Parts: sequence; structure tokens; C-alpha cells
Amino acid sequence: MTLLDCPLGASRRIQGLDLPLELARRLEALGLIAGSPVEVLRKKRRGAMIITVRGTRFAVGRDIAAHITVREDEHGK
Amino acid sequence: MANEINIGFAGNPNCGKTTLFNAYTGANLKVANWPGVTVEKKEGRFQFHQTDYRLVDLPGAYSLTCYTMEEQVTRQYILSDEVDVIIDVADASALQRNLYLTLQLIELGKPVILALNMMDIVEKRGMEIDTHRLPEMLGIPVIPVSARRKTGLDILMHAAAHHVGCPADTPLIHHHSGASSTESTRPRHRHQHHAEFAMVYSDLIEDKIDQLTGQLKRRYPGLQNYRWHAIKLLEGDQEILEKYPVDCPDVLDRSYEPDIIGQKYDFIDEIIQEVVVNKEERSALTDRVDSLLTHQVLGLPVFLLIMALVFFLTFTVGDWLKEYFQMGLDFFSAGVLGGLEALEVAPMVTSLIVDGIITGVGGILTFLPNIVILFLALAFLEDSGYMARVAYVMDGIMGRLGLSGRAFIPMILGFGCSVPAIMASRALENKRDRYKTMLITPFMSCSARLPIYVLFSEMFFPRQAMLAAYSMYLLGLLVAVLCAFVMRLLEGGKTKGSALLIELPEYKSPSAHTIFIYVWEKVKDYLTRAGTVIFAASIIMWALLNFGPSGYSTDMGSTFGSLLGKWLAPLFAPVGLGYWQIVVALIAGISAKEVVVSSCAVLFSVNNVNSAAGMASLSAILGGMGFGPANALALMSFSLLYIPCAATLATIRKETDSWRWMLGAAVFQVAVAWVVSFVVYQTALALLGPA
Repeated sequence: MTLLDCPLGASRRIQGLDLPLELARRLEALGLIAGSPVEVLRKKRRGAMIITVRGTRFAVGRDIAAHITVREDEHGK
Repeated sequence: MANEINIGFAGNPNCGKTTLFNAYTGANLKVANWPGVTVEKKEGRFQFHQTDYRLVDLPGAYSLTCYTMEEQVTRQYILSDEVDVIIDVADASALQRNLYLTLQLIELGKPVILALNMMDIVEKRGMEIDTHRLPEMLGIPVIPVSARRKTGLDILMHAAAHHVGCPADTPLIHHHSGASSTESTRPRHRHQHHAEFAMVYSDLIEDKIDQLTGQLKRRYPGLQNYRWHAIKLLEGDQEILEKYPVDCPDVLDRSYEPDIIGQKYDFIDEIIQEVVVNKEERSALTDRVDSLLTHQVLGLPVFLLIMALVFFLTFTVGDWLKEYFQMGLDFFSAGVLGGLEALEVAPMVTSLIVDGIITGVGGILTFLPNIVILFLALAFLEDSGYMARVAYVMDGIMGRLGLSGRAFIPMILGFGCSVPAIMASRALENKRDRYKTMLITPFMSCSARLPIYVLFSEMFFPRQAMLAAYSMYLLGLLVAVLCAFVMRLLEGGKTKGSALLIELPEYKSPSAHTIFIYVWEKVKDYLTRAGTVIFAASIIMWALLNFGPSGYSTDMGSTFGSLLGKWLAPLFAPVGLGYWQIVVALIAGISAKEVVVSSCAVLFSVNNVNSAAGMASLSAILGGMGFGPANALALMSFSLLYIPCAATLATIRKETDSWRWMLGAAVFQVAVAWVVSFVVYQTALALLGPA
């Protein structure tokens, strides 16, 4: 499942980034690494969304969200 | 070394670094940046306890890789020998993310001090940070400050002064419980690095670091901080791999960057667990505000309303204040004229001073209130944290134009001034996006164009002056959007802008100090321009219009200026601007857009052109030439779209590092201006009829 498929308000954990190396490194430096919890705060029809990761909000475009794979957050919230 | 201490301010974007920097250097107002958009390092100096401090504000960065321009600038400066102490400014309310940069800075081996900024917000939210345990775990001094309330500033500088020359030598009292050693076994790694370094990696990585350090020591004796270089090699850092190649294929069998990043974050999690009490994941206030401002449906109308309010304030309040400026100018101009005549100064000199300088420069100064209000509003939007949301709100629309929502931020800044707007396009990672943005940003109507709209719309559309001026802003936006759309079609329509990725800072009430410094800087720019470029342009215009092939002449029709204008006028006839005076004013306007107004004042010898009397006489002269409302609209459109100004061209040249690009952009803009004015003129002529 990718981040793009997550419904509004969902809490997940990042599994991996399927993005060009440079972009992936930038995301990782921002804390979007495998295992980081991620929550979807807002979502637009065209796919841009606002997420929080490690206490910071980010706006991410559809093309990025579609390439972040996530898994269920087993610890739950 | 002189008794001057060099201090570099590093930190994440939006951590309040610039506010803190201004709190120290603000008194002498040497620097100001867009909050959050510092793209170049800025310097300031101040004195404290008989010591001189040179402070350098580095661009905000999340990490010290070399992927983005800001990070490169920061990294190069810190690696240079120029810096004595680094102050790492961290937003204490978002410590988790800010510490990632901190760990990297510590690894560089220079003296680092952590300034925990925004402690007031942390307290307000009921969070607590253990400021005793934090320095123990990091091995560097940690000073709580609040840049906005100006608390802790002296202590921070004091710590910096004492920390010069002693890189991370505080004994570390911490043990990793995380990644490396929780599992049954004790570390099998031969060294006990926890006593030396804050950030200790897994045994696998530490072994590799040791091997690489050995190699580096042999091959590059004298290199500073082998550990950092070894880590960078493991991360596959392009710059370091090229500069210091090593021959260890078995050690560098892959990029260990994901491991290194992951383990840093593991350590950060440990720190947060230990030092942050009552951790709150996110601010409820920001959530509430965002539920309106980034609403799926309402977000866009709300944004348009906010921009409408900005322009409404600019025009109404600005115009109200402007009247007082005009009264002052009238009084001054009459006084000078009277004085000069009483002193029996030669008429040519009187003409130069009154008709040339006061008319030209003074006409521009009266617009100061409008410009102050516009910049106040823009600074408010930026400092409150709203600007980043605009990128999110506009992402869908910009996506259809093949650009990321982030490209909209330079466009909004373009309402203020094209120069910083073009520089802000650096935040776009993709080169094609950047160049496209640079090409369309000058179409956004900057504050220098405002005097032209105000003058001509008040003369020709007295009842709908604000509407006429406002329509120019919309026209600029529309042309920018259309150009982006056409460019996308030319590219085949398939290209996608680089995807949106932007941090959304928490909303805060903007810092009055930061806004004041920003606006003051812009006002200073404007005044400087009035005193230099516009002053010079006014004198040159005066000379061109008072001298002809036969010397000083009071008949303007036979001067150099009119000859040039008459020669070019036929080109401008189809767009309704085929008057030599207008052509001359437009050419002069390339030096700075306001010059179009000051030139008109000089060309038509109208004193204090913005006063009611001045406008009446100018519109009478223009009307007599057959220049009516349709021509006025054409002039406003042309002024909006043609070459913004010499300074913008110079910025485009600098940012693209290409003369061809700059010339191309200039030709493109003139062509677009001509075509659009042609359409506007012909349409207006059909609707309004000739003058």
C-alpha cells in the first residue's frame, strides 16, 4: 500500500521509498525513513496531502505520496 | 587572530534562526532576509563585552549533504576555517527533527552550541525539556533562548565566547540503549566510542569508519576530522568521494547512507525519550487554523480573499497616506522654486532642480506608503507560516501548468519585488522548473509598477481606479499562467513538475521585529533607488529633453529625446502607444519601472504629477494628443509586462549564469507585452471607443 491510498486521518508506518536516489535522500534527511510513523492530516482530490512525520508537518505532492510504501502501524494509536 | 569572533548561525528552515540573528544585529540594521527564505549567507557585526563578533546567518538546511544549494552554502562555510563557533539554532517545539542537523554539525568536529529557540512556545504548550540531560547526551552546551522575547541572548553569546577553540571536549555521560547494544551482546567493537563521540553507530558501521580512518590518515595526512570524512565516504557523498578517493572496495561495498540516517534517528528517538516531558505530537491551534486555510474546497477562495485584502489595504490606506506626502511635496517644490528665483539662479539650473530632480524623484517618493503596506502584508503572510500553505493550496492548479505548488511562492513574492522573487526560485530543485519560474515571475506585478497604475487609472478611470489597478494584477497573473501553460504544451504536455515537498511550519504570531527589519530594508532599497537610479534617470531625461542637435533648447520637440521617440513611435502605434513621449518614458522605464511615471512628469513638464492639479493638467495634455482610456489601459498592460527593470535582468543573468538566457528573457517579455497590449488596446477601443 502507498501513502496515496491512505484515507484521511490514517496512521501508518513508512516501509520504503521508491523514488530517485536524490529525492529519497532528501526525504530521509527529513525523517521519512523506514519505520517512521506517519499520519495523514489532510488530503486533496488531486492527491496532494499534509502529513506529520516525527512531529513535523509536510505537504507532499501526489507523485511523492504514490511512491512511499506504508504498512499498518501495529502499535496503533 | 584579531579579537574578533566569527560565529556561524546554522539551523533548519523555520527555526527562528533569522529572528535570533536579527535580535543580535538588528540594532544596526545591517541585514534582513525573508524569514525562511535565506538563500545566501548574510553578515552582521556587533560588540559585546569589549569583543567584536562577526555573525553569519547561513541558509536554513535540514542536513549537510550536497543535494541542494542551501545545504552546499552552509556546509562549505562551516568546513572553511573562517568560522570559530557554530550556533545551531533549533526549534525546541520541534526538537525531534531539528536534532538531525545538530548531530551532523557535532560530527563536523567544530565547536557547536545548541540554542534551543522558541522555549516560550514549549512552555506554553506544557512541554518540558530537560536542559541538563540534553547537553550530557550531546556533549555540547545547550542554551535555552527565545529570539522573540529576547531572553537568553547574553548567555548564548557568553557561551559562544567561551567555547571558541574547544570542540566537543565535554566528557560525555551517556550510553546508547538503542540500535547498537540492546540485544544480548555487549558491543564487540574494539573501541568504546561513547566516551568520545555523541553519535555512535552500530558495530558494523563503526568498524568501517575505523578502517576508512586508517586509510585516510595514511593517504591524506593533515586532514582535519578523519571521522567525518570516513562517514561521508560511507554515505557515498559525491564531493568527498571525488576529493579524497580511497581504495577499499570491500569497505565501501554499497552506500551506507540509509543505515547512517536511520541510526541517527534512532539516537534522536532515545534523546527525545529522555529529555522531553509531556511531548505533544502537534499543535492543536495549527490544526484548527489549517482546517480552514488548507480546506479542500475553501482553501483557494480563502487565499484569493487574503490577497484581495492585501491589495485593498495597499490601495486604500496607502492612498490616504499618500495625500499627505503630496501636500508635503507641493509645499517643498514651491518653496525651492521660490528660493531659487529669489537667489536669481540661472533658469537652466532652476529647471534642472525643479523640473528634473524634484519632479522625477519626488513623484516616486509619494508612493512610499503604498509600498510599505504591501511589504508589511507580504512579510506578515510569510512570518506567520501561511506562505508554505499557499504552495499546498495551489499545487493542483500549478500541477496542470507543469509546475509544483512550490513555484507559486516566488510568484507571490513577485508582487513585492521581482529581484528577491527570482532568487527565491532557487528553492525549486528541478532546473527546468526553476527556469520556467524565472521566466514567468517578472509578469507578477511588482510594487514598482504600482505608481504607473495609480497615476493612469486615477486619470482615466477616476470612478473605477481601484478596479483598473486591480485588473492589472490579475492580468499579470493570467499572462504568467498562460505562458506556463503554453510552455507546457510546447514541451509535449507530458512533463510533470517536480513533486511538491515542503515543510509546513506551525502558525505563530509574526515577530514585529522581523517584519520591521524586513520592511525597513525594502524601504531603504526603494529610497536608495529613488536617490540613485531614479535620480540619475531623471537628470538624463531632463538632459535628453532640453538638449537637441542645436544645444539647449526650450522647445522639447527638437531635442534628442523626441528624435529617438519619433523614430520608434511607429512600432508602438498598433498598441496605442505611438506617441514619442510615451516611447521615451517606456525606454527610460527599463532602468526602473517607477521611472515611467517620473519621466511622464518630466516629459510633459507637470509638477507634482500625483496631485489633483497635476493629474488634471497631465490628462488634459494627453487627451489633447488623442490619448484616451483605451491607450491608458494599453500603457498599463505594456508597463506590466515588458522588461521589469535592469536589476531584475541582472538577477536573471546571475541566477542562470547566461547572457543568452537573460537576453532571451528580455526579448520574450517585450514580445509578450506587445501582443497583450495590442489585444487590450484593440478590445478596449472597440468597447470604449476612441478618446
